Amino acid sequence: MTGLSVPAVWRGRIHRYRLVAGKCNSCGRIHYPPSHSCPHCGSRGLAEVELPRMGRLVSYSIVYSVPSESRSKAPVILGLVDLGVARVISEITDAGPEDISVGMQVEAVFRRITEDGETGVLVYGVKFRPVKEA
Amino acid sequence: MAYITGVSMINVDRHYDKGVKKLAAEASSKALEDAEPEALDYIVVSSSFTYASDTQLDLASYIASYSGFRGVRALTVEAGEASGLAAVGVAKSLIDSGLASRVLVVGVDKLSDRPTWEVYRYFSKFYDVEGEGIYSIGMGGIAGILMRLYMETFKVDRLTLAYWPALMHSNAKLNPYAMLRFAITPEKVLEAPPLADPITLLDSFPLGDGAAALVIEGSGKGNALAELVAVESATGYPSIALVEDPLRIESLERAYQRLTRKVDIKNVDVIELHDSFTIMGILELEALRLAERGKAAEAVSRGYFSLGGEGPVVNPSGGLKARGHPIGATGVYQVAEVSLQLAGEFPGLKVPESNHGLTVSVNGSGSNAYIAYLRSVR
Repeated sequence: MTGLSVPAVWRGRIHRYRLVAGKCNSCGRIHYPPSHSCPHCGSRGLAEVELPRMGRLVSYSIVYSVPSESRSKAPVILGLVDLGVARVISEITDAGPEDISVGMQVEAVFRRITEDGETGVLVYGVKFRPVKEA
Repeated sequence: MAYITGVSMINVDRHYDKGVKKLAAEASSKALEDAEPEALDYIVVSSSFTYASDTQLDLASYIASYSGFRGVRALTVEAGEASGLAAVGVAKSLIDSGLASRVLVVGVDKLSDRPTWEVYRYFSKFYDVEGEGIYSIGMGGIAGILMRLYMETFKVDRLTLAYWPALMHSNAKLNPYAMLRFAITPEKVLEAPPLADPITLLDSFPLGDGAAALVIEGSGKGNALAELVAVESATGYPSIALVEDPLRIESLERAYQRLTRKVDIKNVDVIELHDSFTIMGILELEALRLAERGKAAEAVSRGYFSLGGEGPVVNPSGGLKARGHPIGATGVYQVAEVSLQLAGEFPGLKVPESNHGLTVSVNGSGSNAYIAYLRSVR
């Protein structure tokens, strides 16, 4: 058990499930996850937008130093994904380290992110997987 | 005016036989020697891991009474990995405002009370827990992304970046407070097990416990080790995904700009900076404009930042890499080390004739950055 809070996991469900980001009415920039104010210009006038689900892998790390609950799936591939209008950090799934390269196309998929032991909360959300380019 | 009049450090190690209060009390007693409780206006404690791993709340007051200072004013400062220098900044503010004339800063954290796999979970809390922190970013996941991006962007190879840990290990050999006091070659860094590829185990800090303490006074230049001239800071973006150029630590650039507007910084002789991972040390050198963008690793590899090199000596202690990084205590170690360098009394690798020093402390990938400027009083 890692002591994940059920209400906290529930609160983040919308942006985590649907890639909902904040768009600033003032400077026009988009940020994820949505904040109370624009992280760029500080404006509090924000709208919600769904992010594109296709992007490119800008950089990645193959993470072995993961917490106990993730040990069985280590190494975890963590990526910086460029969706055009915004970038996100996400897990790269359905692929091993040998399948990954900088610049490759990736698409959003719905996956289990973590589980809090045998009886704790399950966290679901978006991860990205490589797209086979034609 | 604020002066560092006393310092002490516990050797960074796995101190299984000592708790947080014991480590803090030992460091405090050594820094203060025989001072009476009345002679101290404030204790400012910096600790971070203690809070993440839910052991003791209101830590400062329990450290105060345990150390023999019941009655003193006490508060705890938490700013993740930057906690130590944040606490030093608070202490200096207390002195500068006239609220206190003598403040004890004690930084303490223990990593060895928890298994490594749990420690990794706590480390992910340096980053946005509602953002990238929902994934298994572990220890070094974000820094790993930055390192690969740096290598791709500036066409720097992995071996060139391995000169940093090699230099840190070489520097730490003489430091009695360092956790890792053995030399390594750059090739050895590449051969080490991966931590968060391209980061290997030897690009990161060892998991140790530590405590360090400083006495900061408003007067007493006569017996001071160094003058604490200024401490500045700035907050930054919550994620590297939001920064237009993730290879710039925007918070540190801003903190440094604030510092140089406030004080005229002469040629810096010695720096202790926050190399939680090799890439963080490299990016900080570039944020401070000590190397051109994309060139810091190469400068390190040709000895520019080594003792006897053209640049300032960086991390003569061995840095986080080899001295160790007992999270909330680290910033306090750095100020203690630079103060001793400026007084000519550092017991490890000495930077001769050093008169101007900086310390740098960063949380995560730059959510917060602190920088301090110290000057010799000799």
